[in-house]
Amino acid sequence: MVFGELLLDLLGPILESIAPHLPGEWFPRFFSRAYLQRSLIAALVVSMVAGFLGSFLLIRNLALVGDGLAHVSYGAIGIFIVIGIIDPLDGAYVVCVIAAILIDLAQRYGWLTGDTAIAIISTGMLGLGLVLFKLYGGTSLVTIDTYLWADLITMSDELYRRIVFISVICYLGLLLLYRSLLAICIDPVAARIQGIPVEVISLCWSILVGLVVVSMVQIVGALLVTALLVTPAAMAQITSRSFFSAVVLSQIYGILTILLGLYYSAELGTGTGSMIALVSAVLFIIVVISKSLVKLLSTTNQNTS
Amino acid sequence: MSVDANVTQKATILHISDLSVNRAGNEVIKDVDLLIKEGEFVGIVGPNGGGKTTLILTILGILKPHKGSVVVTQNQSLQGSGRIQVGWVPQAATNIPDHLRITVKEFIRLGLLNLRNCILPLSKSNKVKVDKIIETVGLTSYANTRLTRLSGGQRQRAAIGKALASNSDLLLMDEPMVGVDMESRKSILALLSKLCQEQNKTIVMISHDLASIRKTANRMVYLENTIWFDGVSSDFPELSTLIDLRENNQLESHSANINRSSKLADDEDKMLQTSEKGGQ
Repeated sequence: MVFGELLLDLLGPILESIAPHLPGEWFPRFFSRAYLQRSLIAALVVSMVAGFLGSFLLIRNLALVGDGLAHVSYGAIGIFIVIGIIDPLDGAYVVCVIAAILIDLAQRYGWLTGDTAIAIISTGMLGLGLVLFKLYGGTSLVTIDTYLWADLITMSDELYRRIVFISVICYLGLLLLYRSLLAICIDPVAARIQGIPVEVISLCWSILVGLVVVSMVQIVGALLVTALLVTPAAMAQITSRSFFSAVVLSQIYGILTILLGLYYSAELGTGTGSMIALVSAVLFIIVVISKSLVKLLSTTNQNTS
Repeated sequence: MSVDANVTQKATILHISDLSVNRAGNEVIKDVDLLIKEGEFVGIVGPNGGGKTTLILTILGILKPHKGSVVVTQNQSLQGSGRIQVGWVPQAATNIPDHLRITVKEFIRLGLLNLRNCILPLSKSNKVKVDKIIETVGLTSYANTRLTRLSGGQRQRAAIGKALASNSDLLLMDEPMVGVDMESRKSILALLSKLCQEQNKTIVMISHDLASIRKTANRMVYLENTIWFDGVSSDFPELSTLIDLRENNQLESHSANINRSSKLADDEDKMLQTSEKGGQ
């Protein structure tokens, strides 16, 4: 759990020095208060790894896998609150990774096509979790609804360290798998012929997806993971030429979404998760419109010259 | 059915002996013997369902032979890279969705990956190598262009580049000319025959475009369930002769199937039409 401490030590003073120059009444506190710094850093790290992962999800046409796995993790949290032996979030990590592997296998071996696997596995798990929770979890003090839309303000130090640790590991994992994942996305058969261990890489990929999605559930909430997983990657895809620039831009858009989302949620007093989701959708619309404007302008310029 | 004299001096790169492959219970190819040497450009023609793609997939190791063997001789630089490497240009190599942002250079670089280097960063020598390949396939000015913006012919060049990046001396191509206009076909074929002559690459290419492949390849194979013709391109007979030959043979072996023959004849008509178009 060393990365959390390291980032806090490294970024803490920088954030503090930026704080006085920032607009707003409440927003600068994310930079100056230690417990809010943790929330900010965790959100930024998760948004970067989500943007990175999202770029691959989009080229595999798996935009909905994030939502599906978020459903799974929500159901799993319900189940583990009821069972009560291990921490619900630890349980969610395990269940989500297994679900991601199952979805990948189901698609690869053609048991189910495309989104069908995601739909069946995710809603099945969600149903199971909710039913168990209703039957046996009624007296539990922990309320499961907080996982639907998370609020960053309440992040504990332990949660912070765990999220940052898992995100950094996943980020490094994606860096290692970058080229082979791209090769597999583009042509799985050719990748196999080249000698790339397609099964192993796909397995690692599924594990990464599961881990990142559960981390995101804690940042934005189960209902809103798409805001950080798909939307920044979609904006990047529209505005870039190469896959590399799409990956970089997607992370930049993710960071921008988090900063704007936190600003407006702090100033307007709304929940962080829902504001981040709203901001990401608005940013997407702005990017689409400006892209079409640029296109329009460049064609008219060509016509007149 | 002799093979070019200068080719016989060279080492064998692909040795197929007594090969039979079953797909879905049918013996799609049977008793195929084929010996291909370095630097050869072999065109494989034959009707749809005649087993051309099955043969390629078996050489690639995707399909397992029912009988017989396929031996690919590895060049030195690739030994120990994990498995036998064959450069493959699939039919829809560049048939990628339009929303996918990937440049020509990124695409060709993917061809470098193998078991050993798939999680390592790209080495400097490999970067240089890809730049050279991009030059070879004539896409230097498009290196940083999005793949989906290229024309059919240019995309096919990129696909050939990706196969070349694997360092393999043997390139297998399945209908690389589909969706490519006549002018580009000529220049791609010229590129391929240059690769054979100058870089000693061996090319095995499935094609429906009989007229062009016959002009460029130095050896032709007619495959329909088994090999009916194998020899230098200039000896390649008229298709009608081949059909007669095959039908007589089938009658002799009591395996003639009227329905099948007429279907095959249809296919060959189509093939002739394409080749006539090609000749224009």
